[in-house]
Amino acid sequence: MSGLGQRSPRGLRSLVIVGGGTAGWMAAAALARVLDGSCEITLIESATLGTVGVGEATIPTLPAFHALLGVDEREFLHATGGTFKLGIQFRDWCRVGESFLHPFGPYGVNVKHELFQAYWLRRRQEGHASPLEEWSVTGLAASLGRFGTPQLKDASSPLRQLSYAYHLDATLYARFLRSYAERRGVRRIEGEVVDVSVSPRGLVQWLYLGDGRSIAADFFIDCSGFRSLLIGEVLKTGYVDWSQWLPCDRAVAVQCESAAAPVPVTQSTARECGWQWRIPLQHRVGNGYVYSSAHLSDDQAVVGLLERLEGPRLSEPRLLRFKAGRRASAWVGNCVALGLAAGFLEPLESTSIHLVQTGLARLFALFPDRDYDPVISAEYNRLTAIESERVRDFLIFHYAASQRDDTAFWRHCRALPVPESLAHKRELFSKTGRISVLEHETFEPASWLALFTGMQVWPDRYEPVVDFLGATSPDMRFESMRESIRRAVGTLPTHAAFLNRIVTDR
Amino acid sequence: MAGSAIRRIVIVGGGSAGWMAAAALAAVVRRRVDEIVLVESAQIGTIGVGEATLPTLRAFNATLGLDEVEFIRNTHATFKLGIEFVGWNPERAFFHGFSDFGPAIRGVSPHQAWLRMRAGTDDRSYCDHSIASVAAKLGRFAPPVPNHESVLGSYSYAFQFDAASYAAYLRAFAERRGVQRIEGRIVDVRLRAEDGYIESVVLEEGRSVSGDLFIDCSGFVGLLIERALQAGFEDWSKWLPCDRALAVPCARNGEPTPFTRSTAHRAGWQWRIPLQHRTGNGYVFCSSAISEDEAAGTLLANLDGEALGAPRLLKFTAGRRRECWKRNCVALGLASGFLEPLESTSIHLVESGIGRLVELFPDRGFEPKLAEEYNRLMGRSYESIRDFIILHYWASRREGELWRYCQNMAIPDGLRHQLELFKARGAVALYDSGAFAEPSWISIYFGLGLFPRRHDPMTDMIEQAALQRELERRVRIVTGAAQSLPTHGAFIDRYCQAST
Repeated sequence: MSGLGQRSPRGLRSLVIVGGGTAGWMAAAALARVLDGSCEITLIESATLGTVGVGEATIPTLPAFHALLGVDEREFLHATGGTFKLGIQFRDWCRVGESFLHPFGPYGVNVKHELFQAYWLRRRQEGHASPLEEWSVTGLAASLGRFGTPQLKDASSPLRQLSYAYHLDATLYARFLRSYAERRGVRRIEGEVVDVSVSPRGLVQWLYLGDGRSIAADFFIDCSGFRSLLIGEVLKTGYVDWSQWLPCDRAVAVQCESAAAPVPVTQSTARECGWQWRIPLQHRVGNGYVYSSAHLSDDQAVVGLLERLEGPRLSEPRLLRFKAGRRASAWVGNCVALGLAAGFLEPLESTSIHLVQTGLARLFALFPDRDYDPVISAEYNRLTAIESERVRDFLIFHYAASQRDDTAFWRHCRALPVPESLAHKRELFSKTGRISVLEHETFEPASWLALFTGMQVWPDRYEPVVDFLGATSPDMRFESMRESIRRAVGTLPTHAAFLNRIVTDR
Repeated sequence: MAGSAIRRIVIVGGGSAGWMAAAALAAVVRRRVDEIVLVESAQIGTIGVGEATLPTLRAFNATLGLDEVEFIRNTHATFKLGIEFVGWNPERAFFHGFSDFGPAIRGVSPHQAWLRMRAGTDDRSYCDHSIASVAAKLGRFAPPVPNHESVLGSYSYAFQFDAASYAAYLRAFAERRGVQRIEGRIVDVRLRAEDGYIESVVLEEGRSVSGDLFIDCSGFVGLLIERALQAGFEDWSKWLPCDRALAVPCARNGEPTPFTRSTAHRAGWQWRIPLQHRTGNGYVFCSSAISEDEAAGTLLANLDGEALGAPRLLKFTAGRRRECWKRNCVALGLASGFLEPLESTSIHLVESGIGRLVELFPDRGFEPKLAEEYNRLMGRSYESIRDFIILHYWASRREGELWRYCQNMAIPDGLRHQLELFKARGAVALYDSGAFAEPSWISIYFGLGLFPRRHDPMTDMIEQAALQRELERRVRIVTGAAQSLPTHGAFIDRYCQAST
């Protein structure tokens, strides 16, 4: 027998991915890698449909996805115009004129988060406030615009804790993954699905294309975007609507020339009726205005976005309509939805690509066979639902905690109720200084701390664990951490210089 | 914050839970409180059925800064690599060892690879992949090496100890750090009129002991948490019908085994916990299925050494306190709930209760959110362990009234989902803050002869002969590694023998 993958008697023989955006090609690439020839993989995409591709900022799980694929970082950055990302800067969210950073990675150096948090809050309560980002190697590098690849050899270096993601051009990324997938045997079919047949058991059987071809498969992955062609239109899976908590339902996106060298930070600026993103790539800047159509017309949004661009625009503004929420079931029978077909959470914390990635990881952990055992899909759906609710809560808090009252939109946000799970978290933190960790959190306590305090939620207490540390004050230990972070970040080149070296060295 | 800091902690009850709390609080929070007091009565015996532990105890002891060898000598402890289950599966005995079944193979759990390659009726060779189980079976022990890549660094261990000695040892530790012990029997609990918080406990002699924070370690009765504060009890006996235990030590017979044994009987099961100087035994049974006399007869007939005294009876109800933390009172140990010692979780639950109390340590304002979070976390721990224990009864194919009942009972929803997932695919959904991870669940499922309809199809992508060679290679490595260890008895004699 060859080293190629093989198949069990009930194993999938063929698998079809519908849609060739970021989600579709991520799925194709990962499946090609993992299934290793044991199953025929086809991707159907239509050149006329175009992709959404606004998920251009990511979180630090993407490097692990690339490690699974065996993708070289330099090659990837070169192919996608990508830059490094150390976090997100939020401006004007709590109050106009204020900003805060949500950096990736932990605070302190080799210290439990709870202990750092208690110490930092205690110092502040004693009148010694210090910016949170000074305590994070990632945060400090982000605010100084510096970057370097973590040095894993030196165990004591704080740079080991540097955690990063990427900004990328989603169209180029899909192209990059397409070439990866096609090299590994994924068959691409150009065409538009015009009809679908479903078996009496509720399994998708045939896809009929506009040119008269028909395609059958054992399993289908719906990456058709907002349309949710299979999981929504055909299989009629309901939608869990979260717009009562997340009021934005439109976005307009446009690319422009950069006015400055790329910074390793995504910017999110709260606007009159929503917020604006700024994603710096090597060759351009991606911009978008996410807004509430109840408070702002599309024309006003376009004007509002265009008047705040830093350079000449490079594309026509593109309008997107959406409804925050998720599919009631992401996996039904022989069809699983990934990406926008599975649900939509605005790109406020750059989670879209991450959720495709975790969806794929879950799919591999619960890989189907031709029995389509409903127990397996039920577990997939249970885990997917919990995960997206956790992310949802994190996003909601940005709106719910804002103190802005300058527009009807922000007054509306302030009046919205929050889900019980979020209310528990918020209340526990504001009353006790503790961050409650619920099941399957995407965002760790370090992220919640950045968000809570960035939104000016300050407990009048801290967790007493720091008081239990010995008779001598922990100040020296923490001050030396801060100092070592400062020194380590000082050794890093600027992000632009580092990036330049990486891209040209190739 | 300093203005409303807890000044005085009163611990009620001096069994393992009470002295564990006293020692841990003395080590961790002593500097921040003026006084820690423990009230115990020499007349009231302690229970001490939890003589076997989980590997988490080592982290607890480390927090206290205990020297492991000193601890072992003082408590006559032996090492524990897992539990052997005898009679639970009528076909064969099996182990639940403190190790996994080896690293993942191309991202897939090794038990899935074993399932794929399983030949015919082979229902046991998966055990050969668990280093802890193999070493336990051979009666061998040495602490794991620090290298996690090595098979000899891939297991964990716990202790089997004399709970009364552990309490005495911790008492000395706590008293050296300023914990004040008050001898006396509590006859009354006084509540503050305005808010129902505990103000003081009154001793028989008339003296009252007041405090800001009360820790109820009074055992099953829940003197403070239940009798005084009526926190309520959630009864789980419909899932765990055993409600009695008879305990008796016996003389040691040969080298102590590096594992606890649980032997299923007609109306429950019997534990065997080897210590350095004797062996602890007990029969956990269901009182409606057998009389106490008959149970005592079974227990005594199944000792492997001379009984040292008459069996002592304990009565209990499986379940947990609805609120382990209510007002200014936190219950630990049996006062917070009871789960039979089938998976040696009693001490573990005390550890996690103390750990969370330290994390959520209150001040005199007793912010209700702290108690709410504490109760949420403890509730999850209790329920995940409960489900794991229920699985043993539900999946056992023994015959008899108790066993038939368990095989047919309706199980909790979370466990039902867990079982369906396993039966479909051999997969394990992990419980939030659960004490037992995938290899533990697999040990019990496979051990009880429960196998899934299908294995993970991902394992099919590996070439069959290569997979077979890899599994065989692993078994050779595990076997060789286990055989390279000293015997358990030799290891103890050499490094940590108790003086008496």
